[in-house]
Amino acid sequence: MDVQILSPEAPSKSNSHKNQNAMDVDGGDVQLVMPGETITSDLQFMRGHGTYLDSESTVISSVAGVVERVNKLISVRALKARYTGEIGDIVVGRITEVAPKRWKVNVNGRQDAILMLSAISLPGGIQRRKNEEDELQMRKFFAEGDMVAAEVQAFFVDGAIGLHTRGHQFSKLRNGSLVVVPSALVQRCKSHFHLLPCGVHLVLGLNGYIWVSKPVIGNPESTDEADIERTYSNKNDIIDDAERESIARVCNCLRALARKFMHINDTIIIYTYEASLKYPVKDLLKKDVVDSITSEASHKLTME
Amino acid sequence: MSRLELLTPEGLRVDGRRPNELRKIIAKTSVLAQADGSAYIEQGNTKVLAAVYGPQEVRHRMQILHDRAIINVEFNVAPFSTSERKKRSKNDKYDNGIKLQTSQFPRSQIDIYLQVLQHDGGTLQACINAATMALIDAGIPMIDYVCASTAGCIDKQPVLDLNYLEESSDSPELTVAILPRTGKVNLMSMESRLHVDMLESVASLATEGCEQIHTILDAVVRDTTQHLKDSLMQ
Amino acid sequence: MSLRAKSFIKRTKKGNVIKVIKEHYLRDDIWCSSALCESCNHTDALLSATPRATESFRTPHYIVPDTNVFMNQIDIMEHPAIKDVIVLQTVREELRHLSMPIYNRVNAIVADKNKRFYAFSNEHHKETYIERMKDESPNDRNDRAIRVSVKWYANHLANGKKKAPITVVMLSDDRDNREKAKSAAIKCSSVRDYVADLTDSPELVDMVVSAKDASEAQAKADGKIEYEEHLSQVQIANGVKNGKFSQGTLNISGHNYLEATVMATVEGKQQNVYIVGRKNMNRSIQGDTVAIQVLPKSEWKKTASVAIEEDEDEATEMKAESENTDGMDVDNALPEMPTAKVVGIIRKKWRPYCGFISKKSIHGTEGSTSAQNVIFRAMDRRIPSIKIRTTQAHTLAGQRIVVAIDSWPTTSVLPLGHFVKTLGSSGDKETETEVLLLEHDVPFQEFSKRILEDLPAEGEDWVVLDKHVHNERRRDFRHLNVCSIDPPGCTDIDDALHVRALPNGNFEVGVHIADVTYFVKPGMPMDEEAAGRGTTVYLVDKRIDMLPSLLGTNLCSLRSNVERLAFSCIWEMNENAEIVNVDFTKSVIKSKFSFTYEEAQNRIDDDRMQDDVTKGIRTLNSFAKKLKQRRLEKGALTLASPEVRFNLENDSQDPVDVELKELKDTNALVEEFMLLANISVAERIYSKFPDSALLRRHPTPPDSNFEELRRALSEFNISLETSTSKELSDSLDRAVIPSDPYFNKMVRIMTTRCMLQAQYFSSGTEAEQDFRHYGLACPIYTHFTSPIRRYSDVMVHRLLEACIDADLTYGQELTDKMRMKELCDNLNFRNRMAQQAARSSVELYTNLFFRNKVVEEDGHVIRILRNGFVVLVQK
Repeated sequence: MDVQILSPEAPSKSNSHKNQNAMDVDGGDVQLVMPGETITSDLQFMRGHGTYLDSESTVISSVAGVVERVNKLISVRALKARYTGEIGDIVVGRITEVAPKRWKVNVNGRQDAILMLSAISLPGGIQRRKNEEDELQMRKFFAEGDMVAAEVQAFFVDGAIGLHTRGHQFSKLRNGSLVVVPSALVQRCKSHFHLLPCGVHLVLGLNGYIWVSKPVIGNPESTDEADIERTYSNKNDIIDDAERESIARVCNCLRALARKFMHINDTIIIYTYEASLKYPVKDLLKKDVVDSITSEASHKLTME
Repeated sequence: MSRLELLTPEGLRVDGRRPNELRKIIAKTSVLAQADGSAYIEQGNTKVLAAVYGPQEVRHRMQILHDRAIINVEFNVAPFSTSERKKRSKNDKYDNGIKLQTSQFPRSQIDIYLQVLQHDGGTLQACINAATMALIDAGIPMIDYVCASTAGCIDKQPVLDLNYLEESSDSPELTVAILPRTGKVNLMSMESRLHVDMLESVASLATEGCEQIHTILDAVVRDTTQHLKDSLMQ
Repeated sequence: MSLRAKSFIKRTKKGNVIKVIKEHYLRDDIWCSSALCESCNHTDALLSATPRATESFRTPHYIVPDTNVFMNQIDIMEHPAIKDVIVLQTVREELRHLSMPIYNRVNAIVADKNKRFYAFSNEHHKETYIERMKDESPNDRNDRAIRVSVKWYANHLANGKKKAPITVVMLSDDRDNREKAKSAAIKCSSVRDYVADLTDSPELVDMVVSAKDASEAQAKADGKIEYEEHLSQVQIANGVKNGKFSQGTLNISGHNYLEATVMATVEGKQQNVYIVGRKNMNRSIQGDTVAIQVLPKSEWKKTASVAIEEDEDEATEMKAESENTDGMDVDNALPEMPTAKVVGIIRKKWRPYCGFISKKSIHGTEGSTSAQNVIFRAMDRRIPSIKIRTTQAHTLAGQRIVVAIDSWPTTSVLPLGHFVKTLGSSGDKETETEVLLLEHDVPFQEFSKRILEDLPAEGEDWVVLDKHVHNERRRDFRHLNVCSIDPPGCTDIDDALHVRALPNGNFEVGVHIADVTYFVKPGMPMDEEAAGRGTTVYLVDKRIDMLPSLLGTNLCSLRSNVERLAFSCIWEMNENAEIVNVDFTKSVIKSKFSFTYEEAQNRIDDDRMQDDVTKGIRTLNSFAKKLKQRRLEKGALTLASPEVRFNLENDSQDPVDVELKELKDTNALVEEFMLLANISVAERIYSKFPDSALLRRHPTPPDSNFEELRRALSEFNISLETSTSKELSDSLDRAVIPSDPYFNKMVRIMTTRCMLQAQYFSSGTEAEQDFRHYGLACPIYTHFTSPIRRYSDVMVHRLLEACIDADLTYGQELTDKMRMKELCDNLNFRNRMAQQAARSSVELYTNLFFRNKVVEEDGHVIRILRNGFVVLVQK
């Protein structure tokens, strides 16, 4: 049968063509693929994440994203996807379940990460061995709903992430507010703990969870019993209105950046924060304000 | 006989399309901030919103599968979606034949929520297309797009993409979903009777409709991805 | 292509108000379809390059009629002189809402490529689509849409490199619309002015439906009578709802066109209500659905009916009428009959009527062609005379012509109409037969080429092959002693029979029916045609076939000594003719003999014949008697209707003798087995298709139908019990007067006339207890045994095949109960028409036979009218 399909409106092909050209100019290396699209039929390449082989050993993308090539390994990174950890990543998570000798932590991953009882700093010295008493009072350390900053330590056989919180910078999080952004936006950098000039403390979790808070007073280096107590404290400090407003402003700046799908690091946050000072906090998520502050910040960034 | 004339002698349908034409399609992805992936599609006046959550921890431990993910699909028709408001009937569940690489996510679950906002025929196809886009938006690996399209048969003439009027006038409606790259058929569903002689031409018309939809969806997803990538590169 | 959302507010059936939004695509690829146009991409342009030019419009042009032109002047549009017409979508949609029959006729014209009518989708064309403006009524909007399209066409055809100048002309009888068109520089004309210019077809002028204002003026001139205005549809609907009015179909008496009855509910009981006189009938015509108001009891009818032939002189008519309505000597023996008057017509049943022009109404000298008003008489006596205006009065005198009614204003005694076409001179047998077929709406044109293409390519040489036996799971009955018994001269043999003894002492009885559905498949043009015809119509001198004769009289016909495909119904019966088992199968048979009833009877009676076939017939005969006995015990009726047979002179086909048909034992033999097969099949298809089985029922007649007969019989001290068919049957048996042997027969004939019509129906549309066949006294019945001459049987064959062959694929035509219902409605209508046509044909020949002849015979008076009586002649 002779069938011809006429669409009421021709799909806008021209747009994507233009972009493909732009890509080549950018570096030639950045290739955009869609699910089901052939990446290469060259047999010398190995397939990585986000790809599959069909019967003729053609490498085909299974996600929409950018092609990344490391030597012979080809993988496709989806721009928006759940967090897949790497060892050494700093993450922010929420306790979802208290299980025997472990906690389950939601870290925006494909399944909950696991924090073993043996992987936290226990009161009475870092090196102390856990005992049965600790097992019985696990909720004293972390209960369901608590926020925690942690580091990816290992992977379990079923793919679950193993976390640890040993170290002075890792602790239960309080005095602040959580912002969730796409995990791809948070880049790996030297430090993920920042004290911004405005007096707000940030934990940039690589999983896209960002904790914005009033800095915890006390000497983080000290290992004495009082500090350990504070590590597991559930009580917020007194936060005054100015501090609250700063925290809220930083939160909204983060949300604005996420909305524009821009990379998030301490510098851009500071620039955005500065640009946002013209506006009241409550207006920051209005569309034109978002456009204005983020473009101002990114402009400043490229000026450097 | 007051039956509507669905096909005029000059070969136009009630809304002015020719038999082999799709309705106007408007599609968008990433329309919801909360969901991992989301999409909105309008095929004519059929409007569907899809949201995907996951892969994430399985909510009921009983359901955990150790070798792959479980998929929940919830389908909901808004009470205001049809021309006449109706009481909500119980949820229909469609197995919408989406090809996922679920083995990559053992012990997790993917939730797909489909909400029909307005109903003007071809709900199943619109749902499948919306779900495909939402899954891609969520970065969940798939073999390929799953594109769906309907075709029916009016007066022995195969017609593409029936609207509600054509659907409800007793013409058979076949929904076909394919993987455009290989042309494999994922789903063929029909709830009415169609003469077997007509099946082939109707199915091939629906398949060509799927391919047409694929180019439209692909352009939309590509644009969105490009846009995200450009933002990141800045 | 651009999109426009159409949104409007609609009220649903339940009365909820909803907002409907529909998509409406506007396109730029709708072409003008003119053969001259070079800018459009159409292939096979429909509109010719050289359309007609007229005196008033000297440029060659296409015609664009508006909605009302089609509504009122459809006959003109169908005339072959009118070509190159653009039918706008707006017009077609309006027509669809206004009148389905006209809409279908327009569609038929559009489908006819020779007429060159092009359906232009102006509503979907980017440049001709218009939005309704604020405060603009839908009608005005549509008129404007028509003008915009005409304008577009005019501009479009004027632009571009055209080989010849060409334009469009809008036809409209709406003066206002024409004014507006003129101000927009659109060429337009009224229909009358336009056709006046078509000098080559003068008859068109006669066919113009007079515009309303003119007809009213005309009517006023002779205004002797003034009718009451009809009430509005809303008033009628309210009146019917609150019981003030009743609704029913007007049924005018065949003896007196001024007396009609309507079946309506009066005083809580369903009964015939009389409507007497022109004034009370108030311009309604035979078959109209009318709203009536019952008159006060003082005006109820107390007299016997009067027979009135419509006299040529209107004065006598008026006199007869006044006699009729004014008080007459009251005959107290008659109970009062309710009377009523028509207050409004809910649905008009106007159609074109065949008839002739009353000679007296023609004035002027022979050969004059000036227009004059003449009176037209329809063949159907129930239709009033129609006043028409014609220029060819003298040529039409003595001809049979077709006339359509245009209007019936309140001030005109008679309806106004216009001439449609001539059939031939009256009295001519051909013409009269055509009149008869037209009057009964019997499709009688030759089978078209498209239909004949569906016949097997082998034609006459088609034979049964081995593949028919092997590939189609047919059972091979070629070795059996199958024979058929039919009336003499029968060429379309649908059925054949066989019987043989089984080893267990039982008998196998087979009824073999021609396998028509092997040749006629659903969706074929041949199938559609057959469904439309519904049945073969038997007239005295000819037969209007339902199927092409190659099938009917040859390939399907179960002739002797030829192998034929059949659909068989096989019973195992014990010697008391009780069914042990029943089976249906497709088969191949080879009939050994084709008997006439008489031949078969002779074989039964002739003791010397002892061959297998004769013995078989004897067995069947004895079974048939047992079956009949059992049926009669259950209450089946034996009714009689006089059937006459004409002996025609061979050359002229003029009737030379008339006799009543005789019935022999063997008639009953065949009939019994056919009944049995039909019942068995009905049960089977109903079990598989509870919603869409095609069945036949015969409703129990209401008691009131017997009223007159009962009164007549009470004179003889005979009572008539009618509550069940059994009681009726018994009381008929008792209705005997020893001195008059014909009396019983006559009572039976009259009882037949009290019966209701048997009907086809789809099982999903009636309750199971209503399936009964009253006359045959069986709970379920259908028609299976005559697929060559009845379409119902074709459908039943398909249903049965779907029952016995699980692998068979079949379409919606077998399962859609609404479609089945539509089909049944058509079949019922066609059947009724066929019966009436056959009866009229007999009447025609009876008249021909008795023309200029005096014969003396004995007769019985069966009905008395005031000034006449109806006689039944026995012979």
